[in-house]
Amino acid sequence: MGRGLVIGIVLVLATLSVAVGVVMRDAEDTGPERSGTMTVAGALGGDGGTEGYARAMEPRPFRFPEDHGPHPDFRTEWWYWTGNLETEDGRAFGYQFTLFRSALSPEKPTERDSAWGTRQVFMGHFTVSDVSAGRFHVTERFSRAAVGLAGSEGSPFHVWLEDWDVRSEGAAGTWPMHLRAQGDGVTLDLVLDEGKPPVLQGDRGLSQKGPEKGNASYYYSMTRMPSRGTVSVEGQTVSVKGESWMDREWSTSALGPELVGWDWFALQLSDGGELMNYQLRNEDGSADPFSAGTWNPPAGDAVHLTREDVKLEVLDTWKSPRGTKYPSRWRLQVPRLALDLTVTPKLADQELPVSVRYWEGAVSLEGTREGKPVQGRGYVELTGYADAARREDATTRSRTP
Amino acid sequence: MKTLLARASLRHLGGHPWLTALSLLGIAMGVAVVVSIDLASGSALRAFEQSTDVVAGKATHQIVGGTSGLPEGVYTALKLRPDAPEAAPVVQGFVQVEGGNHRTLTLLGLDPFAEAPFRDFSTGNAVGDVGALLTKSGTVVMGAKTARVLGVKVGDTLPVTVTGLRRELHVSALLSPSQETTERALESLLICDLSTAQEVLGQTGRLTRVDLRLKDGEAEAARLRAALPRGAELVATSGRAGTVEQMTRAFRTNLTALSLLALVVGMFLIYNTMTFSVVQRRGMLGRLRAVGVTRGELFVLVLGEALMLGIVGTIAGLLLGILMASGLVGLITRTINDLYFVVNVRRLSLEPFTLIKGLGLGLGATVLAALVPAWEAARATPVTALRRSTEEDSTHRQAPKRALMGLGLLLLSGGLLAWPTQALPPAYTGLFGVMLGCALLVPWATEKLTVAAARPLGALFGPLGRMAARGVTASLSRTAVALAALMVAVATTVGVGLMVSSFRGTVVAWLESALQADVFVSPPSLVARRGDSALVPGLAEKLRSTPGVEASGSIRVVHVRIDDVETDLLAIDFAKGHERTYRFKEGRAEDVWRQVDASRDAVLVSEPFAFHRGVHAGDTLRVSTDKGLHDFRVAGVYFDYGSDVGTVMMPRPTYDHWYDDRSVTGLSLIAAPGQDVDELVSRVRDRAGGEQALNVRANKALRQASLEVFDRTFTITQVLRLLAIGVAFVGVLSALMSLQLERAREFAVLRATGLTPGQLWGMVSLQTGLLGLLAGLFSIPLGLALAYVLVHVINQRSFGWTLQLVVSPGVVGQAMLLALVAAALAGLYPAWRMARANPAMALREE
Repeated sequence: MGRGLVIGIVLVLATLSVAVGVVMRDAEDTGPERSGTMTVAGALGGDGGTEGYARAMEPRPFRFPEDHGPHPDFRTEWWYWTGNLETEDGRAFGYQFTLFRSALSPEKPTERDSAWGTRQVFMGHFTVSDVSAGRFHVTERFSRAAVGLAGSEGSPFHVWLEDWDVRSEGAAGTWPMHLRAQGDGVTLDLVLDEGKPPVLQGDRGLSQKGPEKGNASYYYSMTRMPSRGTVSVEGQTVSVKGESWMDREWSTSALGPELVGWDWFALQLSDGGELMNYQLRNEDGSADPFSAGTWNPPAGDAVHLTREDVKLEVLDTWKSPRGTKYPSRWRLQVPRLALDLTVTPKLADQELPVSVRYWEGAVSLEGTREGKPVQGRGYVELTGYADAARREDATTRSRTP
Repeated sequence: MKTLLARASLRHLGGHPWLTALSLLGIAMGVAVVVSIDLASGSALRAFEQSTDVVAGKATHQIVGGTSGLPEGVYTALKLRPDAPEAAPVVQGFVQVEGGNHRTLTLLGLDPFAEAPFRDFSTGNAVGDVGALLTKSGTVVMGAKTARVLGVKVGDTLPVTVTGLRRELHVSALLSPSQETTERALESLLICDLSTAQEVLGQTGRLTRVDLRLKDGEAEAARLRAALPRGAELVATSGRAGTVEQMTRAFRTNLTALSLLALVVGMFLIYNTMTFSVVQRRGMLGRLRAVGVTRGELFVLVLGEALMLGIVGTIAGLLLGILMASGLVGLITRTINDLYFVVNVRRLSLEPFTLIKGLGLGLGATVLAALVPAWEAARATPVTALRRSTEEDSTHRQAPKRALMGLGLLLLSGGLLAWPTQALPPAYTGLFGVMLGCALLVPWATEKLTVAAARPLGALFGPLGRMAARGVTASLSRTAVALAALMVAVATTVGVGLMVSSFRGTVVAWLESALQADVFVSPPSLVARRGDSALVPGLAEKLRSTPGVEASGSIRVVHVRIDDVETDLLAIDFAKGHERTYRFKEGRAEDVWRQVDASRDAVLVSEPFAFHRGVHAGDTLRVSTDKGLHDFRVAGVYFDYGSDVGTVMMPRPTYDHWYDDRSVTGLSLIAAPGQDVDELVSRVRDRAGGEQALNVRANKALRQASLEVFDRTFTITQVLRLLAIGVAFVGVLSALMSLQLERAREFAVLRATGLTPGQLWGMVSLQTGLLGLLAGLFSIPLGLALAYVLVHVINQRSFGWTLQLVVSPGVVGQAMLLALVAAALAGLYPAWRMARANPAMALREE
């Protein structure tokens, strides 16, 4: 009798355990599944197709101030300000303020009830290089161009991303522009004058990036804009003066598959001339044939430079705290112009640890032109050194020079 | 010696396998009921909290608006500030999947560009075209698991309905986040861009809320608050935590208490089993004492036996509880969905704490129940223990004393219940005190009743009848315990049954007086008792002017914050020239109506609201309106059984004054004299057209539907009652069976002296029948008392409802039937065994 009881109890307990096991296993069943995400980079990337967008096929007439405004039919467009500033007592700052517009799809949006429906999104990068303090401040931002959160207008000129904005403040025309941005403990408030007139890059503003037709952008620069205003760092506000550079570019193009990145230089010389040069880098480190530049002399017409005109030699490298090795000093020679410059970063660490990492920073330069000594300053951008594998990403595409 | 004692115990338990098995079953069922309720309601709550946590993300504060959310400009203005905080706009609502199981999913509209600091649905690699979210209306992404359950793939169309309107969604990608909590939350989510959410939910231009992460805490909050437009409020998310817990607390406490009743019944079973085993072994216990076993050792022996039963029974109970919980979780989820909020519970979460609690309860209850028998076993002196009559003598002697103790306990419990407090623990203590008090009265009452019953039984059945009756008294030490266990078990089912039927009766009466119009129109809502979906604009006016409608009223249900707690607000447009069907607990109807109609600052509150918030007529409430916070005066308290958390009501003109929302949630139409109501219903349906799916119901149909919802919300209670009945049945069976089996020797003597098997069977049946009858009779007053306490004390304190106690003869009859059937069944086996047994063998047995 007793044994029967024990057997019965054991049997019942075993049955219950098995039943519980079955019930709970059903509940825990997750099954294999590919993982999926919702990342902003993914959203910005779109499908990468060029179909349906306007392309830069041939030179076009530029009209100002209209062309300062948006060109929404192209997939990507940016407003790119960089500059070197100084206080009265010589404290130096560099700044970069960039607004990227990116179209997610080519077709015009069908009438949507919601004001939030849009195909245009904005990305912004804002950096201040506090040279004397050795600090580099970076902020990245995204927003859709809807419900007043971000957008751009031609006339009067206005481009903004939330509270970052640049707008015309001239009573009569576009100039001066008022730039306001803040983030990572710094605030920048600048008034930019026109300075020298716009320089059309490439062939009358058509900047060819690859062999196929249409793989090009429309590209112009304001190379020397007298700037004045204030910089606030951690609550302390100082007045600054200096010169800015504005790059404007719009396109529907992509880097060729063999390209890994580029080194871009925007240099303002003390004798009144400016040099823009970009070197597209192949996977093996060589310069792509479509690398190009422009020399804007103190007076007179701009001179187009090809890869063969420019000799770029890396003198030093720097390893970022995130483990990426960047070139960090260059000798840049243009024999055709009798130009020989050494370009040195004002700070080694001007790496932007944003969604796609790159280096962009203030530089100083010295050397000779036509035998006479020159100094100067400018900005250099180095992409494709970090995350080489992710070069297909949104930012890279949107910032093809 | 120790092993010897242990073996003696085992031998004893094994020697009565049926009794041991039944008492194990009793413990197991008691534990199982408690554990399953705990697990199931805990799972539902956690599922909801997890999904709200994931949906609310890492926000520290939120900006929320009035009844129809925030104007979207609030977000832009916030982001264009130079000191803009981290902020993310959210548009959120519910959609119901068409076809399949009509699952309700939360549609969460987000701005992917603002999301990063808040929610993390994105770890891993993207699957599908995420960019389409912004550009293509109706694009959603969903959890890979939900997709599999619904049978949708990337690229498929997912038809859903929103407040009766059909929408098509397109699945552009599937998400499988690495974090398990996020994955769980995703099971009831559809994520889309804000634009899609606005369009699908009909919230164009509005945001549900703006999530904020404020680094400087309250200082920053105050700064931002100053710049907010009227009607927008900035609140800390910490206030949100626990509201769900609070909202459902009473509901869950009651379930737990009811499940504990099952355990109490189980405890009586254990007590019965252990007492019985002590009484039965008094000879052996006496001999053990005689050979030198100490009192302590005997005490430990009996307690150890109980503990062993407890361990086995509790483990079985835990396993059974998990099984039952996986069935109950659906039922509880359904009830919560009907009463409080939309929640999807896809699985049971096995909380170790719940299981440990169940283990503790089971073992604790067993040991507690075995204390008295163990003490009695230890108390026995070697000589007296050998004599059975000693035990019976003392039981008889003590019966009046115990009865007096019982009376005292009853008085004490009565006092505790009458104690004017709103706390629940004294109420439950009082409830259990009443049960225990009644149990103590049982021996005395049994003695008196059986002595009285001996004469009529003798007259009916002759000596056998008298023997049956006297047998009960003669072995009072055991019959009394069995009877008490039976009484408690049966009374529990009576009490709970009467509570539910009283509640239902009150609701029926209330519905009859409250629903006076002839036709009611409303869009389908997801939470049956808290419908807040709106009719499409213009439709209300169109339907109110249907030919054949003499007068019409409307209702608008919205959720607003009142004294910082989310509350249902009803805005009612009363039908002109018709009586308003509210009954007031506080305030005279004419005065109340005059006040609310005349003033824009007066509201009415329902009885549960007044109860929970401690509000009375004349007090003020701070209500969030589209014009900012405003203080309203409470003009009266009305009876309402629609919501246990309470509602606040204002006339439509007051609502229109304070809120911009002009929607209508439901219409009540009064037919013109002579108008056929069914014809009116179909006319209204025709007029409504197919744009929005609507419930158009005649008075009777709505009443029916309301009662269906009511019954659904009480299904879980009924299930608990059935489980308690199950435990009670097992109790009756084991108590009576053990009683009769124990008398094997006595029966053998009777058989040896010439009783035929048939006569023996008759006597046993008569005796168990008598016991069943007694148990049934005892359980009626106790059941009534329990029902009274449940209705007037516990329900009142949990929900603030005034209910009418109605004694339904059906419930009482059921209890009698239960007791008698179980008793009859319990007599069968022992009688059969005794009738078959060889008297000589039986006599030799001990």
